[in-house]
Amino acid sequence: MAPSLHDRLNKDLSTGTSWLVVLAVIARSDELIHGYEIARQLADEAPEGMSFKQGTLYPMLRSMEADGLVRSTLVPSTEGPARKCFTLTAEGRRVLASWAESWRASSRWVNRVLGETDARR
Amino acid sequence: MHDADQVPSPPSIEGYLARLEVALHGADPALAHDALIDAEEHLQAAVRRGVPVHQAIEAYGSVDEIAAAYRGLPADPAGKPDETSGRSVDPPSSDGSPRGAPTAAVATPAQVPAPRLRDVPVVGIWFDSRAWGALLYFGGVGFVVATGCFVWAVVLGSLAIGLLPIVLGLPLLVLLLGSARALCLVEGAVVQALLGVRMPRRVQPVHGVADVGFWQRIWCWLKDVRSWLSLAYLYANFPVSVALFSITLTLAVLSAAMVFGPLLQAAGLPFVSISSDDVTVRYLWTELKPAADGTIRLPMSLALSSVGLGLALATATLWLVRGLGWVYGHVVQAIQVARPQAILPHR
Repeated sequence: MAPSLHDRLNKDLSTGTSWLVVLAVIARSDELIHGYEIARQLADEAPEGMSFKQGTLYPMLRSMEADGLVRSTLVPSTEGPARKCFTLTAEGRRVLASWAESWRASSRWVNRVLGETDARR
Repeated sequence: MHDADQVPSPPSIEGYLARLEVALHGADPALAHDALIDAEEHLQAAVRRGVPVHQAIEAYGSVDEIAAAYRGLPADPAGKPDETSGRSVDPPSSDGSPRGAPTAAVATPAQVPAPRLRDVPVVGIWFDSRAWGALLYFGGVGFVVATGCFVWAVVLGSLAIGLLPIVLGLPLLVLLLGSARALCLVEGAVVQALLGVRMPRRVQPVHGVADVGFWQRIWCWLKDVRSWLSLAYLYANFPVSVALFSITLTLAVLSAAMVFGPLLQAAGLPFVSISSDDVTVRYLWTELKPAADGTIRLPMSLALSSVGLGLALATATLWLVRGLGWVYGHVVQAIQVARPQAILPHR
């Protein structure tokens, strides 16, 4: 079944923002953070109605690592096999800061336009 | 909808992984390998934290969604964008400006990729980074790595076998198998970087579940076919690397001599200098007699022929190592992504 327009717009919106929030979650962690913990925090803080499939996080992290934004380390675990944990690189921090600023500007712009649209209704 | 989704969803991690493996059929084996490890590690972490299996699987995503996300990764293992398929997520550009949601609504005209030099028939190989990577790998790096791994495997293997009767050999054997897998992973990283064949980035846990004891884990290591495959690879890779090193170096040096010999002569240096003038030297199809001072100079036609043949041989060498690199890389990949049924039961 073809996705609805709403689903497609939602997907377009989440495509870019998911990179931003993943970088932000890694940045705010004081220590190395593993994939499950990133996914858990993202799921906990996702707004109602926003679906986030945790499994899509890992290919995203892989792309980020290939782009030099995050660095992974295998950390031994007492609960099982060694876990792959992540931290931001200097480039990752720079991109996050720049991207967050762009996001805030875009957000202000969208909110302003939406506010004017709502006022005319 | 994918066939894998028509199977009733079993509420088990193993069942999910088996379905994910089906959904990833046809994908790059190393990528599928990593996708399965990512999923297994994540789901086990969720279950250890008390999340019911069916909830953990639901939150992780359907096998089709996850397979699509992995398939959307760049085809180039170095992370360069795939020019033939879309990316599931847009990374930020290198200058930090987002390519994602804030600008996603702005339509951009479709860009026709500029023709690349490496796409030129035959001689395009000179501009193919994979060919030069393969030349570097087979002409030195691979030989050094293979020799180091072989020495390690022979020394530790001899010690392990020699000390087996007094039990001390067993931990050495386990160390040998563990190190063989780790060394294969390192070798894989080098192969990926230079030969461009994607390698798994993760070593799959040898046990399907986390809650196994130490001795059971050791037993799993010993009966895991990938441990023995990795060890066999370290032994077998040495003679193969020596042969490939010899072939590559011979062809590369011969090509270079044929091209640069006449060029050096043009710069004033003799092609060959010998102490006796009573010698006839045959070069290509021409017999050359040394001059009174013992030097041999190529006539212009022979010099040009030598340069041309040298360039042709160098081109053929690049094609050869490029092809060998593809075959070699996929053999290494096959060893690393082997998934024995006993470790990961398919239900």
